Amino acid sequence: MGDREVDQQLVERAQSGDKHAFGLLVSKYQRRLGRLINRFVRNAAEAEDLTQEAFIKAYRALPAFRGDSAFYTWLYRIGINTAKNHLLAHGRRAPTSTSFDAEEAENFEDASLLHEVATPENELMSKQVVAVVNASLQQLPDDLRTALTLREIEGLSYEEIASVMNCPIGTVRSRIFRAREVVATNLRPLLGTSENNRW
Amino acid sequence: MKQEISALMDGELFEDEAEVLLGKLKRQPDGSRDWATYHLIGDVLRQPEHIRCGFTESFHRRLQAEPTILAPRQHKPQRVKHYALSAVASVMALALVAWLSMQIGNEPAVQMANIQQKNAVRPAAYQVNDYLMAHQEFSPSADVQGAATFIHTVAAKQ
Repeated sequence: MGDREVDQQLVERAQSGDKHAFGLLVSKYQRRLGRLINRFVRNAAEAEDLTQEAFIKAYRALPAFRGDSAFYTWLYRIGINTAKNHLLAHGRRAPTSTSFDAEEAENFEDASLLHEVATPENELMSKQVVAVVNASLQQLPDDLRTALTLREIEGLSYEEIASVMNCPIGTVRSRIFRAREVVATNLRPLLGTSENNRW
Repeated sequence: MKQEISALMDGELFEDEAEVLLGKLKRQPDGSRDWATYHLIGDVLRQPEHIRCGFTESFHRRLQAEPTILAPRQHKPQRVKHYALSAVASVMALALVAWLSMQIGNEPAVQMANIQQKNAVRPAAYQVNDYLMAHQEFSPSADVQGAATFIHTVAAKQ
């Protein structure tokens, strides 16, 4: 069962009235969609509002989603349209007219724009989160760090990682989980424990 | 459950396992927080410069204000319907071909049988035999037959 099938299961649950399932999709894609929209509007506060708006539009349009394309492709299309309509309504132009697609926007590196307009509080919080994750990663044993890096940065499957690390798939699964859990344990005091946490 | 969440977000669970786990996640908020935290870790590792905070809390309030969607699942039933229609169409097509082939195979045989029956009864009985009898002496074997008749006649006189 691949990533797309997981999304499809969550979508079907949301279509059956499970808002929590849609919340899991939001947790998964909020930063990627926010990065995409920020590429259009070049303003972090606006991008965050538009990201929320895009998710709400997606939620309302869920009955029309039939799974012909991947959920994230559909979501990104909604995000792009939301951003373009926002720019049009305010008499502003999109970065490029027609050739701007989701993949192009997602891969575009424009970090400085985001940091310039972020609030000091958010900026500090973001830096702390990044620092904790990086420090935790460096403290991990080699096998755990390698497994997590191959998965998250290189995007390898468990089978591919097992081949690279010359170990069973079950061991890969265990190493990735343990690595995540060590980093998450260090992050939790920073993130808070309320049900509607900030992340 | 945490290890299962980790595997689920990597797309490494079987469908039935995922279904069970998603049901558990709905009932247990801790699981949802782990899901969110693990995704945050992945995003930090991939794009550390794009991490922002304050999103989920405010969005959660907006989402709760939305009316709950109750739409029938469209993807799988459509696929099942599609397969069912294809299967029915295939069976119908097969039945049509079989029926046509039976029609084509039987009809000429019946017709030919009728024709043969008519030809066999009438000409053989009334036409062909009379014709052959009338022209017997002109047939290739007329000499023998004629001689036989003559011999028989002479023998009868003696």
